[in-house]
Amino acid sequence: MNAENVKSQMRKGSLEYCILLLLEKEPAYTSDIIQKLQEAKLIVVEGTLYPLLTRLKNTELLSYQWVESNQGPPRKYYKLTEKGELFLGELETAWQELNNTINHIRNN
Amino acid sequence: MKKTLTVNLGGTVFHIDEDAYELLDKYLSNLRVHFKKEEGSDEIMNDFESRISELLSERIRLGYEVITIGQVEDVIGRMGRPEEIFGEDAFAEETKEEYRGKAEETAKKRFFRNPDDRILGGIAGGLAAYMNWDPTVVRLLILLATILLGPGATAVVVTYIILWLIVPTATTAAEKLQMRGENVTVENIGKTVTDTFEKFSANVNNYVNSGKPRTAAQKFGDGLVNVIGFIIKVLGILVAIVLLPPVLLILFVLVVVLFAIIIGLIGGGIGLLGGGLGAAFGGIFPFMDWNMAGNYPEGALIAATIASILIIGIPVIALGYLIGTQLFKWKPIPASAKWILLVLWLVSLAVTIVLGANFGLPIIDQYGWHRNYFSPIRYMHF
Repeated sequence: MNAENVKSQMRKGSLEYCILLLLEKEPAYTSDIIQKLQEAKLIVVEGTLYPLLTRLKNTELLSYQWVESNQGPPRKYYKLTEKGELFLGELETAWQELNNTINHIRNN
Repeated sequence: MKKTLTVNLGGTVFHIDEDAYELLDKYLSNLRVHFKKEEGSDEIMNDFESRISELLSERIRLGYEVITIGQVEDVIGRMGRPEEIFGEDAFAEETKEEYRGKAEETAKKRFFRNPDDRILGGIAGGLAAYMNWDPTVVRLLILLATILLGPGATAVVVTYIILWLIVPTATTAAEKLQMRGENVTVENIGKTVTDTFEKFSANVNNYVNSGKPRTAAQKFGDGLVNVIGFIIKVLGILVAIVLLPPVLLILFVLVVVLFAIIIGLIGGGIGLLGGGLGAAFGGIFPFMDWNMAGNYPEGALIAATIASILIIGIPVIALGYLIGTQLFKWKPIPASAKWILLVLWLVSLAVTIVLGANFGLPIIDQYGWHRNYFSPIRYMHF
């Protein structure tokens, strides 16, 4: 049991939640999502994200459309689906509960 | 100076150094192996490719005309090495566990032909991997067995050929691991794939074959050629096994004839040569009258000669070529040529049977059976 391991597990666990949160505000290109997650130190390498996005898309939490870009070929532009919004709602509640639990334990 | 290739990556064309191409190709196939089992794996790979394409396009915009290995390394650094991606990937963690569970059941070694270490069919290489021995030792043992067994050597050769036909080649990374009895885990597959990074093999031009989409008709053609090729391989080997004794006999006869000729020449010139020849043949087949060949119609004699040359020559050439393709990487015989040879061989067989029956067999009529005028067989013991 080492701290790095647990920390990385925590990051992994919150990754989907963070992606949905980011896309709730506004639809985004894959590269924007990557940039924001890297700034937040949630992911280190980009490769982690592509399988995850595809999985979220396959479970219909996200959808994308191809948007022309002025430099190079069209790029994927992801947005949250209705199902995704519901899912995000559940995650928010869960996160809130987890937060409360931890605070409760910490302060008692 | 470096050779460059032109690749289409995510819809953009790049000029890329050969070594950089190798690295990128291995990187992508490594990822492909990992995501193979997952739903939407094509899409994931497309995402990777378009992102890599995007990153490389930025360099091109900066004025670099050719993608170098350094740039590919940078890109891989950004995208993440396979172990980084798979390590961080929660889902991959699960599949890895599943995979490992499965691997433990199948961690048993399997006997494969080793395509990376072979002289003929890769049997010795596969056996060495299976037994965890040095392949050279295995080869020496086989050679030693062949020499020591003397007449039993045919058994070794036939066993080898049968194994060659039956034992599958280890083509995928997983099969190569099974061949060595290593666990089929994602890390091991990754290692096997990355191991080949260093092998700057002559197969760079594979992309020509693999990159082009094949139409259904082409695929059907490929399949047909494979099936026919396999049948011809089997036929060739069977024919070789059947023909081996007669060919050896012919060689023996030729040696005897040569010996007789030499004796004849030594014995005192051309005059004795005929005697030597006659003596040689007479010695081997006492019941044959070789002068009877003069009784044959000329056309039939020529046809019979050509047919017999083809009947022995075609399988010998085919077998030689087969060995050549395995040993010296010759290009395989084109399918059309295979067909022509097969038809020629069948025609020769028919000609030989017809002529042989006409001239060789005794005549059977209302007086019973008696000697054919054309036949060289003077008397026979039944």
